[in-house]
Amino acid sequence: MSRPGGIEVGDEIPRWTMENVTPERMKTVAAILRDPTPLHWDREATRKIGFDGRLLNQSPINLGYVVNMLMAWAGPTCIRRIRTEFPLPVFDGERVTAGGVVAAIETDGDTRIAECEVWLDLDDGTRKVHARAWVALPDDRP
Amino acid sequence: MERLVGHRFPGGQYRIEHWENFLLSEATGIAPLPDGLAHPVHLFHAPINGVGTSITELFQLAEATPPAPVSIDYYDWTIHTPIREDETYALSGGITAYQRVERGHPPVVDSFTYEIDVAGADGELAARVAFRWHFWRFDSR
Repeated sequence: MSRPGGIEVGDEIPRWTMENVTPERMKTVAAILRDPTPLHWDREATRKIGFDGRLLNQSPINLGYVVNMLMAWAGPTCIRRIRTEFPLPVFDGERVTAGGVVAAIETDGDTRIAECEVWLDLDDGTRKVHARAWVALPDDRP
Repeated sequence: MERLVGHRFPGGQYRIEHWENFLLSEATGIAPLPDGLAHPVHLFHAPINGVGTSITELFQLAEATPPAPVSIDYYDWTIHTPIREDETYALSGGITAYQRVERGHPPVVDSFTYEIDVAGADGELAARVAFRWHFWRFDSR
């Protein structure tokens, strides 16, 4: 684990956990996004396509958990680029944890950029999201 | 669906209201960011709605009707300037790529990519976002 000011390649980013993915939040997000997909609020719809009545969390919110981890680590304006893939859905009632590791460090002018491998996992290690993020690190010069 | 490549969205503007930032931030599990910063996940729906399309229209363009299986392949977001509440952004973009994957049995998977530029009030590019969606065709249309 590392502080942004003294990071090194291979350092772990402090983890961030969503203890319980709730249907109530999915409904709020569906309204904000104007997302008509019933898979986020209608259990019968998810039964019809083989998800056994489990509601699917919206993918931007799954990414949001990863983003929250990065912002808690390096600040609210730290993200320069993030490329995200979603191999598996996150369901209501799940507990998911964002994690990551610093893969490389480069500079852009006076700013140090950490290239990070980041992810969102269940407690059993099932990977729901994986991403590569380029994160501006806080200036640690005296 | 190959005809969709080159399709341009109408373009338009989007302003993230405080209530929207509050609720979306809370939905990710955090309080709103300080100093009027908007949560970066606004870069999912603000470009879609601001560029003059919608999730519904994207489904229609792909000839998919909810709850037809749709999945996200990837998002690729480049952020030049932090996104903020109560600032008006100009959006422009369109569909840039299409691919059909057939394996000789269902499902056929149609995928398309769209890219949207997000410009601030000063006209400078604040962010560029790209998305690739998969539409699963179990009826092999």
